[in-house]
Parts: sequence; C-alpha cells; structure tokens
Amino acid sequence: MKKRLVLFFILNIFFVLTAFASSENQATMVHQKVLKNGLKVLVKEDRRAPVMVSQVWYKVGASYEYDGITGLSHVLEHMMFQGTENLAPGEFSKIIAENGGRENAFTGADYTAYFQTMEASRLDVSMRLESERMHRLNLQEKEFVKELQVVMEERRLRTEDKPQGQTYEYFKALAYTSSPYRNPIIGWMQDLEDMKLADLAVWYKRWYAPNNATLVVAGDVKAANVFKLAEQYFADIPMVKFEAVKKRIEVPQLGIRRAIVKQKAKAPYILMGYKVPVLNSTKNEQDVYALEVLSGILSSGGSSRLASNLIRGTQVAASVSAGYDMNARLPTLFMFDGIPAEGKTAQELETAIIEQINQLQNAVVETKELARIKAQVVASSVYEKDSNFYQAMQLGMLETVGVGWEKESEYVDKVKAVTAEQLQAAAKKYLIEDHLTVVHMLPQSEGVKQEVTSAQ
Amino acid sequence: MRSNQQRLMGLVLCLVTTVSVAVPTIQHWNTKNGATVYFVPTQGLPILDVQLVFDAGSARDGEKLGVAALTAAVLNEGAGGLTAQEIAEQLESVGAQLGVSASRDFTSISYRSLTDEQTLATSWAVFKKVLNQPSFPLKEFKRVKQNTLLGIKRREESPGTLAQLALYKAMFKNHPYSNAIKGEEASVNDIHKVDLKAFYKQYYVAKNLLVVVVGGISREQAEQLTNELLLALPSGKEAEPIKPVADLKQAENLHQEYPSQQTHLMYGLPVLKHNDADYFALYVGNHILGGSGFSSRIVKEIREERGLAYSAYSYFHPMVEKGPFLMGLQTRNEKAAEASAAVKGLLTSFIEEGPTEKELIASKKNISGGFALKLDSNKKLLGNIVSIVASGAPLDYLNTYLQRIELVTRKQIQNAFKRRVDMNQMVMVTVGQTATEK
Repeated sequence: MKKRLVLFFILNIFFVLTAFASSENQATMVHQKVLKNGLKVLVKEDRRAPVMVSQVWYKVGASYEYDGITGLSHVLEHMMFQGTENLAPGEFSKIIAENGGRENAFTGADYTAYFQTMEASRLDVSMRLESERMHRLNLQEKEFVKELQVVMEERRLRTEDKPQGQTYEYFKALAYTSSPYRNPIIGWMQDLEDMKLADLAVWYKRWYAPNNATLVVAGDVKAANVFKLAEQYFADIPMVKFEAVKKRIEVPQLGIRRAIVKQKAKAPYILMGYKVPVLNSTKNEQDVYALEVLSGILSSGGSSRLASNLIRGTQVAASVSAGYDMNARLPTLFMFDGIPAEGKTAQELETAIIEQINQLQNAVVETKELARIKAQVVASSVYEKDSNFYQAMQLGMLETVGVGWEKESEYVDKVKAVTAEQLQAAAKKYLIEDHLTVVHMLPQSEGVKQEVTSAQ
Repeated sequence: MRSNQQRLMGLVLCLVTTVSVAVPTIQHWNTKNGATVYFVPTQGLPILDVQLVFDAGSARDGEKLGVAALTAAVLNEGAGGLTAQEIAEQLESVGAQLGVSASRDFTSISYRSLTDEQTLATSWAVFKKVLNQPSFPLKEFKRVKQNTLLGIKRREESPGTLAQLALYKAMFKNHPYSNAIKGEEASVNDIHKVDLKAFYKQYYVAKNLLVVVVGGISREQAEQLTNELLLALPSGKEAEPIKPVADLKQAENLHQEYPSQQTHLMYGLPVLKHNDADYFALYVGNHILGGSGFSSRIVKEIREERGLAYSAYSYFHPMVEKGPFLMGLQTRNEKAAEASAAVKGLLTSFIEEGPTEKELIASKKNISGGFALKLDSNKKLLGNIVSIVASGAPLDYLNTYLQRIELVTRKQIQNAFKRRVDMNQMVMVTVGQTATEK
C-alpha cells in the first residue's frame, strides 16, 4: 500500500451517497471512552475475521492552513514516518511490516489520519507506535529535505501532469473567496518550495495532542481491552491548550463566476459547483439530507438522471456526475463534473446540466425514483459492513469534522425521511445561478508528439 | 487510494503461524451444460457476491482489437426486452450492483446483492437476462463505441498510460498481449454490432465459464440460483489456447518525448505463467526488491534515500501465457537519468546477490503475519477465490501457501531471479521531456 497520500475531494464527487451503517442493527454498536487528557476512543466490534484496524484522527488538515503555508499538514503527515525520539526514520513502518501489518495515512481538508490494519492480537503494537509519534516526533532536516522532494513529485504526478487535476485547483481557487477550501490539500508548489522544518515543528506542536485526536478501533477486539490499552499507551501524553479555530466563513457569493483553463488535453472537461451548507454548518439538517438525496437522484447509478438523460438520452456527455460531501467541516460545493461526448462542447454540456437542475426545481421527483435512491442507500449501508476500515473511517471522520460520530447511526433513517417536496425546495433554494462557479477546461491545440524513438 | 501492491494481484496469500485463520473450504460442482461453480458460504452479513469469469479477454480480439472490451461494455445496455434504463432501474430499485469488465485474459461479470428473497428475485432476474439475452442495441452500441474512441484519444493526456502501452507493445511484440485492452482508434472504428454478437456467441458459453459464489446463502440456494442463471446458456466449447509468448531476444530502450514535468520510467519483460514452479521464490524475492512498499529496496533507495519519486515499485504479473515482471517510477525530468541508473543498479545487484537472510526473514514475517488481512471481507474472499480458480491453482492453495512461503530460501530466490529476469531482454520505456540536470 502506498503511504502518505492526499485525499482529494475530487475523488469524492464520484462517490455519491456515502451511506452509513444502519441504526437497525444494534450488533454494530459503538463504544466510547474519553481519557482524562481528552483523547476520545471509539470501538466497533466485528468478529467476522481475526483482524482489526486502528486509526488515529487529528483535527487538522489543509483547511486549517493559511496563505503561504499551504500543504503543511500533508508534509507533516509524511514526516510522521520519519523518526521519533525512540524510533529511527522508517522504523515505524518496519515494525508494522514485521508484524504482518499494513499501514498508511491520509490528509484531507479537515483531517489528518493514520492507520494500521493488523491481525487482531497485534493491537498493542500499533497503539504503542501511535502514542510515540503523537508526542515524540523527531523532525530532522535531512529527512525533511528529502521528503519535501517526494511531496513535490507527488504533486507533479497528481496535478502538474494531470489536466483535470490541475483544472480542479483553479476551480476551487475561483469558487471560494475567504474559505480555506480554496487552497489545494497538497499545497501550492511555491509554498512547498518555501517550506521550512521550523514551520512543521510549529504545526506539530500546535495540533498533535490527545485532546485534538480520536482513536478508532474496529474489528475482532473487545472494547474493554481497547480502553485498557489506550490508557496504558496514551494516558500520560499531556493535553495541549487550544485556542478556538478561526471560523473563516466563506463570504456570500454575489453572482456567477466563470473561468477557462487551457490544458494540454485531448478533450474538454467542465466543473460546476454551487455553494451549499453541510451538517456541521447549519441547524437545518433537513436541507442537508435533501441535498444528499438530490445528488443521488442526479448521479447514483445508471438509472439516475445524469446517466439516463445526458449520457444515454441526448448523448451530450461521455461522462458526467454530481457529488456532495455533507460531512465537510465548512460549507462546501454541490459539484458537477463531466466530459462532453465527441463533437459536443463544454458549453453544451453545461447547458444540459442546468436544464437538469431546472427540471428538479420545476417538478417533484416521482415516488418510484425517490424510492430507488433510498433502496440504494439501505443496501449500501449493509455492503459497507463488509469493511472494517470503512466503518472506522466514517466514525473518525464524523467526529473529526465536528459533526460527532453519533450521527452515523441516523444517516439511513434521515435519508429515508426526505420527501419529494423537500428535494424540490432544496433545488430551488441552493442550486441558483448567483451561487454557481463554472470552469471549462479547454484543450490547447498544441499536439503531443507521437513518435517513439529508440534511445541509448 | 491507489496502491502498488494491489497490482501484485494474483495469488498473494499465505498462512499465518501464530494465529489460526479459518481458511475457507471451496465447494465446487459442474452445471449440466458444463460451467464450473465454486462456492464459499459466509456468515454474518446478508450479502451475496457472484463473479462470472469467461476466458474471453482482449487476447481473444483477433483482428478486431477492442472487441472483447466493447462487448463487455455494451452487455448490460439492453437484454431480454429490457432497455439499458430498465436494467439499471430494476437493479437499483433493490440496491443491487452489476458490472462487466475485460482484462487481457478474462471478461468478468460482477454481481452484488442483498440476500432477502424479494431483492434476490428481482436482481437475479435481471442478471439472468443480461447474461443470456443481451440485445446490443444499436443506439447504445454506437454511443459506447464513440466514448471508447474518446477514451483512446484521452490516453494521450497521461504520460503514465502512454508509457505502459509502449511497454506492452515492446514486451509482447506480435502477441495479443501487446495490444491495449480497449483497442486502437482504427480497430475500434472497424468494430460493428455483428462483431459483438459473434464474440458473445463464441465466448460467453458455459464451457468457457467459471463461476465464483461467496456470501450468506446455503449450498442448496447456491445450486438453485446458479442453475437458474446458467442452464439456458449454450455449452459451447472452451476457447482454444492462446499462443505462447516469445522470449525477447535483446534489451530495448524506447523514449517518447512528452511535455510533462515528470518522466515516467517503466521496465519489463515477459516471465511467468500462472502456477509457475518459480512463483514462490520470485514472489518472496520481489517482496524484498520492490513489492512491499517501505520495506522494499526500491522504495528505500528511490524514495527514502534519494527523494526521487512518490511511487516506485516492482511486481510479477502471472498471466495465462507468460506475463511480465514490471518495475516503474516517475521523477522530475532532470532526474530521469539518475533514477534510471539507480533502479537498474538495484535490480542488477539483486539478481547477482539475492536478498540477505535478514531481509528474507522480515519478508516472511510480513507475508505470514498479514495472511488474515487477505480474507477479512467477502469482497476480498471473492477476489482471492477468483484468482485461484481462474489461474488453475489447486483448491487447497490457501491451505498450503504458508508452507510454500516458508520453504523459500535465499538461494532459490537468487537462482530464480538469475534464470528468469534477464536484463539483456528487458524493455525500458521513458515518456517525458528530455532534460539535463540543473
């Protein structure tokens, strides 16, 4: 498994309706304990296989960063594998490997998380190592210089040399004004070049503490034993006093925003996004669940509207999807992206998407169509139980963005409660032109040389 | 989350020493018309997973490059009187999933559903129609073909894709494995609806089919469901063996100039079929060389020591005929020469000297200690059983795996690499901008 990766929101827009475990099944109950130093420990027992996943989530990510230090959370995540007071660089990974474990970490806009999946009896190995790097990281210049190069290669791979990836960066920077979501998770290249080891030390000291973390363990474990191990390894780590995180609320958008991004690409591509609230930002939960179901109506499965009408029907799109991350920490975008079919333009695809939105505003969704989305959510909530990792991830994420892990159990029922009228109202309220950002990625005419030559 | 190691695919399994992992017994039987069914019942979740594996990969394309992939892509776009929309609606009305995909060796149909009676009845009826009565509607065929052509054009947006295509061309010369699974612009343009129908008729037959069933149903139910699904399918005949892959006569270096910031470097040569006698030695050896992420020599040297790449890897990919050993990385253009020398140096010294005893012990610990993780979900179980049966490995493969890993010695690894990975036959492809180091 490749380590130290950035989770891009762009990935999420292809996974509509991230459904959660159902409240109907009490067997999948979550156990919680909060240590005296503030570390929250969540346990979900699942005895199907003698394995467990252990994840440590920190409330820090790209949306905690500000201009000039973008990418810091992600680089710090890389450095968390590069040595502590008692572990040489790379030793953490070596110990996990010798215990048959798989490990990785990921940084998002709203979180940084580390995980190990191992045979269940090795839980104490992962806990011991995670507790060590929670407060004894040894940031060294030599490792930093090298790791920064690795991150720049990661950026070139994902962004500089990926037309759609780079376009998404420009899109976010245009759509958001004062929200930190305008910056790329991996950071701007210039900020990476300017980064200093001292910046990382400050960031680590500021955010890595038990009272800013959640430990989630899922699998063939006993909650009481997990709590005991957590006490043993984490209880002595001191708390840190936190100032309130600055709100940095996005200023209201006062009209449509548009841009063109030229790329060395072979086909055009469009990105569209409407400013919308999320669970963590509004008391009006009903609207959030309505938006969640709307994204399903538009693009959950082959029978949903975008596939049915734009890919198969008018054939204006080669691919198109909608997506909404209701579990972001801050207000986000209701997104569309798509590639026009051969011979169709980005503008034609945009017009077709707007037409689909108009239909949602002008007429209520049919009962059968709504039932189909809900059936998919119910089924997914069972399919997801096939993965310990996914279940742990849902708990960790909800807790870390501020929504609270308890919300997980409400998801299916709240989706089921959404009515066709609520969908129409949400479409009218939120999917409006003044709150829209559109980017057309246009291929540059400059061709790519085709010849393959024999080299030395 | 992308992962290098997942591409190791195949038969990456083993037994654990310290913990008893319940290795599932694979039940199997033949249907009357000649399909083989493999079944593992599971407990705890009301989910049924089924995968149909036809010996109908792109290696069967013949002159019509891309026909296997296009047939797969259009299969569920109309069947048994249902339109594409109706197929999707009926499946999604009960939250079931059905997908079709082609690789070089196989075409797979994957099905997932809840197991309650109503849901199963609805989704199974659609599955049955898609398998037995696809109609390949002209409108959907034309659309999917157009989108395939667009996808072929868009390969040029990705230096990594270009490198991989060039590598397969050079490694497999005039063998069908040399071709892109989705074909080429000219060949796809020349595919018509009748070609899909002919391909379906020849290869989507019972004797050319393996069925893997995993989930929360009884043996009786599994037999009844698979009979219902399969018995209308013609027996047909097993596909003819594809031709052997020829060994390469000499090393080859190919470069394609591309306006990217990174140069993609890929190395490879054809090495091994499924169930090769050297497999375990090569697998454990590669685990040490470049197959185990941060524990491997390639990642340690290329990434951890030199900071040259985000991703660097090597793996063996056994196929029906000789599949490749592959090695690759991406680095900023001005470092391409340094990275190339370094990774070739690593391979050379590994072939010469093999691993150290310490490395061998550590890698065995990792493989055996991680065994339980390979079987911890229905999805993974399904994937492993498909690998076992599609490769023709013995059904007790999982039961004997650890012993076979444990028996691998340093000498065997060194010997196997020396015999099988010949640097004088290796193809190297670079795609990027020629640059000199600043």
